[in-house]
Amino acid sequence: MALKALDIYKLLPKKNCKECGDPTCLTFAMKLASGKGDIDKCPYLDLNAKNILGASTRPPIQLVKIGVGERRFAVGEEFVVFRHEKTFYHPPGIMFQVSDLWPAEKIESVTRRVGSEHFVRVGTDLTFSGVAITNESGDPDVFSKAVGVVEATGTHIPEVLMAADPVVQEEGLKKCGNFRPLIYSATKDTYKPMCALAKKFGSPLVVSAKDLESLGEMTKLCNAEGITDLLLDLSFPSLRDYVPAATEIRQKSISRSAPELGYPIFLDTTRYEMQDTALVLGIDKYAGVIVTPALGPASSVATLTLRQNIYTDPQKPIQMNPGIYPVGNPGKESPVLLTVNFSLTYFTVQGYLESSRVPCYMFIVDTEGLSVLTAVAAGKLNETLVRDSIKKFDLENLVSHRRIIIPGYASPLSGKIEEETGWKVLVGPRDAAEIGDYLLKEWKI
Amino acid sequence: MAENSPDLGGKIGYVVLGATKAEDGTRSVSYRLGGESDLPFIGMKTSLGSIPLVAFEICDDPSYWSPIVTSYTGDLVSDTPEWATAAEQQYGADLVRLYLTSTKRRGFDDFPSITKVTEEVLSGTGLPLVVEGSNEPAIDSEIFQRCGEAGQGERLLLGTAEAGRYRSVAAAAMAYNHSVVAQSPIDINLAKQLNILLREIGVKADHIMIDPYTGSLGYGFEYSYSVMERIRYAALKGDTDLAMPMIASAMDSLSVKEVREADPVIRDDIAVAWEFYAALSSAVAGASIVCVRHPKTVPLLKLAFRELWAGKKPGEF
Repeated sequence: MALKALDIYKLLPKKNCKECGDPTCLTFAMKLASGKGDIDKCPYLDLNAKNILGASTRPPIQLVKIGVGERRFAVGEEFVVFRHEKTFYHPPGIMFQVSDLWPAEKIESVTRRVGSEHFVRVGTDLTFSGVAITNESGDPDVFSKAVGVVEATGTHIPEVLMAADPVVQEEGLKKCGNFRPLIYSATKDTYKPMCALAKKFGSPLVVSAKDLESLGEMTKLCNAEGITDLLLDLSFPSLRDYVPAATEIRQKSISRSAPELGYPIFLDTTRYEMQDTALVLGIDKYAGVIVTPALGPASSVATLTLRQNIYTDPQKPIQMNPGIYPVGNPGKESPVLLTVNFSLTYFTVQGYLESSRVPCYMFIVDTEGLSVLTAVAAGKLNETLVRDSIKKFDLENLVSHRRIIIPGYASPLSGKIEEETGWKVLVGPRDAAEIGDYLLKEWKI
Repeated sequence: MAENSPDLGGKIGYVVLGATKAEDGTRSVSYRLGGESDLPFIGMKTSLGSIPLVAFEICDDPSYWSPIVTSYTGDLVSDTPEWATAAEQQYGADLVRLYLTSTKRRGFDDFPSITKVTEEVLSGTGLPLVVEGSNEPAIDSEIFQRCGEAGQGERLLLGTAEAGRYRSVAAAAMAYNHSVVAQSPIDINLAKQLNILLREIGVKADHIMIDPYTGSLGYGFEYSYSVMERIRYAALKGDTDLAMPMIASAMDSLSVKEVREADPVIRDDIAVAWEFYAALSSAVAGASIVCVRHPKTVPLLKLAFRELWAGKKPGEF
């Protein structure tokens, strides 16, 4: 169980030597208690204290970094079971699988795709994370060549080397071991040589076993070999076992009742027929690294969007900067549509306005990211805000008319806005999908 | 493999939808939803909880429906009862959800047509039926009375009750022994409040399904996902005002930009992916019924649920 700062303090030398970088032993203890400190920074800890503190002061789920350079990513270091309790921090890396049996051009094209493909959603760039090279040939040279093909593309994307045989694994690592590829995987039979490779190349390592108990034993064995950058392989024969196992790991690692399970989760979805189902379960429920075949266009965007959704901080509404946003090429007589600065509202309305082909101005007022419904209910969207925003963004000089369209859900405010601003208020539809029709029918100058 | 989660004492209550001949109705099947006492997908081995159901959504005026569905489906959409038959026999849905979109027409007053279409859909399919009433508060009372009466004895699910607009639907549900969809705007407290209001006017807890409002993927789905997890967890911790099964419909899926403006060649695939990802994730978050509109999404969800629930049948425990 987690120790409180004072319990930790009792185990520290209480010298206040500052060698750990903190001003006092107590502040260092507080850092450790919050999971943000590193006990190795204290040079005077005795072994016993180290053992007690070791398991309970590191983050409940180990942070593991994969790859180097711009595209590197980190997984683990999560603190909650449900995203609403705080947030999830490290979205899973999604790796496209390539086989060493494929012709070089095919490996190259998947690698280049991951290197360059990106989708922009809600102002954020979304990309897949890397490639997983599988050793299907069983031949060390063929594997090494395939890794070489990936490296030669110069895309510098993170890699998973999937070779069960340590001899084959080493041949791959010789090609890319400097770039922190993820090694897949160590079993009860291979953990010693695999740990030696992980140590030699400074790479993180996946451990595989038949159930959670054996996985816990494996991490202890690897720890004893000096390896702590580990992932737990949950690609069990039946996909049915994934959510229960992933949930149990998350619960037990967060509560620190099983520190040996406090590592990110690895899921190889290529083992299952139901590709999309496996992806959804992995993203929703705690996966750190997911291997998938290169996805088609439909699953690609849906996968990246779901990952973005689940890893959005639920406590921070995504906000737009308040202001005036033109759609098309609006002029002095174009309609002005008021809405809130909740970015989903903005992007939804903008999408419909664009397809309506009516040039217009979107007039975005600052409701601190609240949606229309909530902003009206909370009084954040009110006549004073509208009046002040008209002044602030100089709407009077932008258009020659004095009419403003407000969202249907803000209709209770229409009278007050008219009184306060002197502008005529038109109440638009409640549903953004109807905005195009509305403009065509109702907007006449 | 997984043990049950610690410290949970609560249980999701039951709601029964549909009535077979033996239950004095005419449905070919009825479902008992709820009964879970752990997080979704967990504890299945001890036979806790039921497999999520897939509802196929249709309407009685397809001019208000997504052109993606109408162009994929063709003329069938103009024949509501036939469409319901297809939902059952071709697409393999567990439930049909009928939206009375005809009531959206300006000055709608053809009330006998509501009775007619409800009856016809009930003859068109043997599946339990969800009916979504009017969009206009002024005609709520007449509409719900009509469809409630038309479905008497069939244990329909009637929607949608909202805070400030729940009396008509609740009255019809109580008069004819139907259940009610209780929708709140992605807010656990408002969901609870609405359930309390419904119970105060006499709707029984086992006649309420929570609709937490489901934003579509990329457009607020994350809020819906979390509010479903919160509602489920609160119920498991013993909050009986939230211990009802949930229904989720990311109904805007087919009109979001990514789907609406997709390359026509792959537009159906994108539509299906958009519905599938949100629907499966809703089940992961705790929904007992997930609703979709594209015919191709239904078999994919059914297959996934069947596999994940180890071959369990709808309505089975």
